[in-house]
Amino acid sequence: MVSVINTVDTSHEDMIHDAQMDYYGTRLATCSSDRTVKIFDVRNGGQILVADLRGHEGPVWQVAWAHPMFGNILASCSYDRKVIIWKEENGAWDKMYEYMGHESSVNSVCWGPYDFGLILACGSSDGAISLLTFTGDQQWDVKKISNAHTIGCNAVSWAPAVVPGSLIDQPSGQKPNYVKRFVSGGCDNLVKLWKEEDGQWKEDQKLEAHSDWVRDVGWAPSIGLPTSTIASCSQDGRVFIWTCDDPAGNTWTAKLLHKFNDVVWHVSWSITGNILAVSGGDNKVTLWKESMDGQWACISDVSKGQGAVSAITDTQQSEQ
Amino acid sequence: MRLKEIQRTAHQAWSPAGHHPIYLALGTSAQQLDASFNTTAALEIFEMDFSDPSLDMQLKGSLPTSNRLHSIVWVNFGMGADGAGGRLVAGSENGTLTVYNPHEIMSSGAEAVVGQSDKHTGPVRALDFNPFQNNLLASGANDSEIYIWDLNNLSSPMTPGAKTQPAEDISVVSWNRQVQHILASANPSGKAVVWDLRKNEPIIKISDHSNRMHCSGMLWHPDVATQLVLASEDDRLPVIQMWDLRFATSPLKVLENHTRGILSISWSQADSELLLSSAKDNRILCWNPNTGEVIYELPTTNQWCFDVQWCPRNPALLSTASFDGRITVYSVMGGSLKAQQQSTADKISSSFDSMDPFGTGQVLPPLQVPQPTVQDTIVPPLKKPPKWVRRPVGASFAFGGKLITFENPKLPPVQSPQPVPRQVFLSQVTTETEFLQRSRELQAALQSGSFNSYCQAKIQNAKSDAEQDIWKFLLVNFEDEARIKFLRLLGFSKDELEIKISKCLGKSFQHNGHGVDAKDLAEKMQRLSTERSDEAAAVGDAKTSGSVSPADFFSQTPKENSNFQIPVSCDTDGLISQALLVGNFEGAVDLCLNDGRYAEAILLSISGGEELLKKTQQKYLTKQKNSISMLISSVVTQNWRDIVQSCELENWKEALAALLTYAHPEDFARLCDTLGSRLEHEGTEKRCLQACLCYICSGNVEKLVECWALHRDCSSPLGLEDLVEKVMMLRKSIERLRNSEVAVQSTILAEKLTCYAGILAAEGSLSTAMTYLPENSNQPGITMLRDRLFHAQGEAPIGQQPQNSFNRVNVSTAKPTPAPQIPAPKAQTMGQYQPSPAPQVAAPPQPPMPSVFTPQAAPANTGPGLPPSSHVLPPSASRPAMRPSYPQHPAPAPGFLPHQPFQPEPMPMGAPSTFPPPGPSMPAANLSGPPLPPSSSTPGGLPPMPSPGVPPTGFMPPTSLPSGLMPPSSQPGAPVPMYPGGLHNQGPAPPMASSPFAPLGSGYPQGGPGAPAVKPFPAATVAPPPTGLQEGWNDPPAVRGGPRKKKVPENYTPPAPITAPVMGFSMEAPQPQDSAQVPPGAPQEPSVQLLQQLPAERVEQKEIPAEHMVLKSTFDSLVQRCQLAAGDPQTKRKLDDAGKRLGYLYDKLREQSLSHNILNGLHEISRCVASQNYQRGLEVHTQVVSSSNFSEISAFMPILKVVMTIANKLGV
Repeated sequence: MVSVINTVDTSHEDMIHDAQMDYYGTRLATCSSDRTVKIFDVRNGGQILVADLRGHEGPVWQVAWAHPMFGNILASCSYDRKVIIWKEENGAWDKMYEYMGHESSVNSVCWGPYDFGLILACGSSDGAISLLTFTGDQQWDVKKISNAHTIGCNAVSWAPAVVPGSLIDQPSGQKPNYVKRFVSGGCDNLVKLWKEEDGQWKEDQKLEAHSDWVRDVGWAPSIGLPTSTIASCSQDGRVFIWTCDDPAGNTWTAKLLHKFNDVVWHVSWSITGNILAVSGGDNKVTLWKESMDGQWACISDVSKGQGAVSAITDTQQSEQ
Repeated sequence: MRLKEIQRTAHQAWSPAGHHPIYLALGTSAQQLDASFNTTAALEIFEMDFSDPSLDMQLKGSLPTSNRLHSIVWVNFGMGADGAGGRLVAGSENGTLTVYNPHEIMSSGAEAVVGQSDKHTGPVRALDFNPFQNNLLASGANDSEIYIWDLNNLSSPMTPGAKTQPAEDISVVSWNRQVQHILASANPSGKAVVWDLRKNEPIIKISDHSNRMHCSGMLWHPDVATQLVLASEDDRLPVIQMWDLRFATSPLKVLENHTRGILSISWSQADSELLLSSAKDNRILCWNPNTGEVIYELPTTNQWCFDVQWCPRNPALLSTASFDGRITVYSVMGGSLKAQQQSTADKISSSFDSMDPFGTGQVLPPLQVPQPTVQDTIVPPLKKPPKWVRRPVGASFAFGGKLITFENPKLPPVQSPQPVPRQVFLSQVTTETEFLQRSRELQAALQSGSFNSYCQAKIQNAKSDAEQDIWKFLLVNFEDEARIKFLRLLGFSKDELEIKISKCLGKSFQHNGHGVDAKDLAEKMQRLSTERSDEAAAVGDAKTSGSVSPADFFSQTPKENSNFQIPVSCDTDGLISQALLVGNFEGAVDLCLNDGRYAEAILLSISGGEELLKKTQQKYLTKQKNSISMLISSVVTQNWRDIVQSCELENWKEALAALLTYAHPEDFARLCDTLGSRLEHEGTEKRCLQACLCYICSGNVEKLVECWALHRDCSSPLGLEDLVEKVMMLRKSIERLRNSEVAVQSTILAEKLTCYAGILAAEGSLSTAMTYLPENSNQPGITMLRDRLFHAQGEAPIGQQPQNSFNRVNVSTAKPTPAPQIPAPKAQTMGQYQPSPAPQVAAPPQPPMPSVFTPQAAPANTGPGLPPSSHVLPPSASRPAMRPSYPQHPAPAPGFLPHQPFQPEPMPMGAPSTFPPPGPSMPAANLSGPPLPPSSSTPGGLPPMPSPGVPPTGFMPPTSLPSGLMPPSSQPGAPVPMYPGGLHNQGPAPPMASSPFAPLGSGYPQGGPGAPAVKPFPAATVAPPPTGLQEGWNDPPAVRGGPRKKKVPENYTPPAPITAPVMGFSMEAPQPQDSAQVPPGAPQEPSVQLLQQLPAERVEQKEIPAEHMVLKSTFDSLVQRCQLAAGDPQTKRKLDDAGKRLGYLYDKLREQSLSHNILNGLHEISRCVASQNYQRGLEVHTQVVSSSNFSEISAFMPILKVVMTIANKLGV
């Protein structure tokens, strides 16, 4: 079942472009073409506006919460070419950092796993991807991948922090040797994987399957299996699931989840990584789940937050 | 931003939207000549490869054409399913209309022309294809000619109606984007005509009558059927007019910005708010035609651009064709020109390098290009964000299975005045309906405590027999007399068996050979020995009746046999009697054995002493090879290990039954586990299920989980639910047994529970998920989930806020933070829980005890080993953690003993408290005495020897308490009737359930129904941390709930009313081996528990009165001697325990609380021991016990007997 438990009236004056809950699921951040970012406290079914952040001069495309270990930090990106990092200090939200290094619309922001510290990836229509790393003392280190996607980068998404080779969370001990990786999608129809080596970002893989702009990419959370999974969706209506079992991360295979009749704007993995929410043009949101035999099936059509859920795994389970 | 560029003077056509990859077709333009006056013409196709950052277009195919073009379009018609192909249609200067197959152009080129018509009489300037029917194409030429072509057959084009008059050029034709049979045409004079193809006539003419509108372009609105725009080439009126046919008298809007005539317009199909125009003022503008605002101006060269076109597929792209002979592709999304210009410079430079334009024979120096950095112009994107980047819908997941969705109503072309509600929906996603349902049921059962009915329901609904079996076993754990019920479940019913036996006896006295009646057999054997010792004098009679079975023999022992002969011949009979006459039992027994007279051999050896008996038994058993001999052997020798280790796995039921019947409490769990692991090892699913049953009997949650996970899929929610249900029930039953919480200890269980909690969380059951998370773990994953669950629940539940599972990193804007801020990933997770949860922190720090014995014992404080200091701890502080690990841990190191002379000895927990002290009045003093051997608490029960030779009739202290006295909750595993020998220290039992000793269990490591036993608190050992309670978290196991037991009234004395019933009962109860003093299931710990409850001030010790010191020295030295002589570990353990138990005696002596009678008896025993006359000592012992208050002596008398028995056996 998908049932509405809270309907938040955002009072945005124009289109909403993104809505994200924080780590705990207690606060909602929204952003809109009205150039504002709003934060609501939605605990216990409430919807208290706690902040109305103004600073962008264009539509705000995305918001992203940092891990709470860094405090309450929110990043937003806009058509105005800016990335703003907001921080709550003593209950008041304020700009912490404003990044103006892009020459076109910044379409996507995504915080890296907390294991890497405070690091933000930003994808822009100027084709570049910026990586902003907080180095303390109000300083942010900026690395830029120029021409990551010709005509523009539409989406970035970090890989979970896993140690190469094992791909499984390691037991505690000395600082593990994480490799930072993320995936991006762009107007060159490509999905690209990036890896940091010796402090430099390098293109690791180029995944070709889409025939039109890649609208969104989502790297699935690690569920302890040595498989990496990425979802990508495109203007061409296709959603692909990319998987890689190879510890080196070199062999990726694509499986077509579905071909929609309209552009697919967004993909989002559930926290446990087993359900994929796909939002397409014509305002359709569908939920997808992989069955035991590796087939992806639609388990729900969500409209206005409501929907039934069909159990696709029943057959498998009754076989046991 | 400029992306691609090529030198061509050409008309252009993008491949259709469905085409992938994106191509651009260029046909040589008819209206311009370049400086070379080259008149050759070609049709070329280029691919836009945007992954190549250079400005180059990649030529895919080229076809020379005979005529230059006025127009070209690329239509969907003939496009393959793969989105490639289509048709190129070109209108030439001589009126020819040619249809090309672009695929052929890009390959051979041979059959590229697929159709041609020269129906038009003049240059074909206008072409447009129908967006609905891709075979329909409209063309316009001079003389008002308009044709509608069917691309399937070019031979007979139709006209939209009669030619307009006067005849003039058609400069543009355009199909309506909404209504497929509507076509518009326009001519340079400024008139536009709208045709209805169904009526085959013009339906409206548009003209502003200014006569200045020289139409160079006309386009229908992409979304609104009645609107179109007209562009004027006239420099006097360089405008774009927007018309609405509903008000066709004058333009709806006039877009004015160009300063000279407009040459070309293009309307974005992806966003109707983007209209491009190029004009003779050298500018290319992008308008929002709905507002009339210019939202973008392309950075262009100073040249007229006669053609602009949006790319149909990539909405951000457009191409321009300029009179200076360039085709350029731009993006309207802005960006930097840096990269391209660099590569352009390189290209120009290198192209010059390779040629020698002036024929000098010298290579020119590299071209000096301006520094690209200087030209690093940043091109801003469109002022208005185009529609295609405005995400209208979104759905993202959040913690707890929440889905956040929003959608934006499709904007109507005309903004509605009503504000649109901008809503975001927070939804709960639940996908595992059955899982949630079952989880709720489980949760309900756990909370209400209705375990029985839950298990019952599970039994009823079990889908398979195996499942049903497991639930039946689990259920039994919640019931009384668990062992009997287990037996029944295994198919052994005591009652039925009795009936069978009596039937069998009625006919002929032979046991039926069925394995099960071994127990009865054993009982009979024991009875035999008991009765035999009563009638020791009759031994001589016995030898005549060798062929009669023992019981029979006794029942028939004929008193009337008054006269008999004693043979002294040289045959066997004679030798035997001679040997007997001189007291050579050993010889007599050997003779009997040799002669196959086993009964006599056994009888004689009984009189010949313990050792002989044992030897004889062994000989007998080794000779007997029938099917039950092994069982008998095990029963007699109490050696169950052999059974579980070597029985056929087919006989697992029988083996388990034997364990249920006989095994010592302290051994039971281990033996069950051994059997279980053998079954598990077999690997088959069936065996694993059987192994699971064993683990359920032993109460071994961890092994159950491991075994279960071997063959069952625990990754699916329902699979996990299956497991968790069982685990929780088993845990509950064990907790009930021990009356304390059982913490999760094993990694695999913690992992499964965490996984389970994770699924619950993902399904939105946050608070339930919290209850399953292992509480004592500081695994990063678990603590993070706990932290997340806690915060996610909104209103914080009262009480402890879990420590954050990560270190906060200060990224404050106000105060600069030091550089190394970036947290070391692991450090964060490690550090968590340093501060333990609030209650713990609140506990007072370690009392100032100058001892090594820092409080690390606290977690384990439920055991008698508890240092007094732990009394200081508030109850909540010592909610320790874990279940003692299984099976037994070595006792705590003795290292701290010297510092703790008053401690109730720290290690009793380890020892099977076979003979617990009678009550609290006996601080364990023995520790102050001679150094005790490290009390290796390894259990193992008493030495495996029955003592039929000992006439125990007088005293049976341990014999069965009435079962009513036992709190059912504490010993489901101890079916009283089956263990007549058990429960001696039952004294304090009744209050147990709710009382201080409730913890009975806590001393029991295994809640195993049958057999809890010994306990392991490894925690108390050596841990040094001075940090107070901290180590409660670091140390592995400890049992929860310990502190609760501290509420014992200080002067608590155990009720003593049991004596009478005990004695009464014991008299008639046949006694099984008294070495097996502790029958399975008997709770022995309670009195031990008491020790720990002693108030701290009781620690000072008095001296043992001088006249009684001899007792101590005698007994201690006896124990020591035995320890030196004892070989097998079981015996050693007994002795270790003995040392401790005797401490209770010494305490009593110090307190002078023993009655005269007892003291006399003890001294008598002491004398016997001193003279090594243990038989006599045992007799005296029996007398003392039978004539004394049980509760007064129960703490030490039994162990005294054990020690003497051992001493006797060892001959020390």
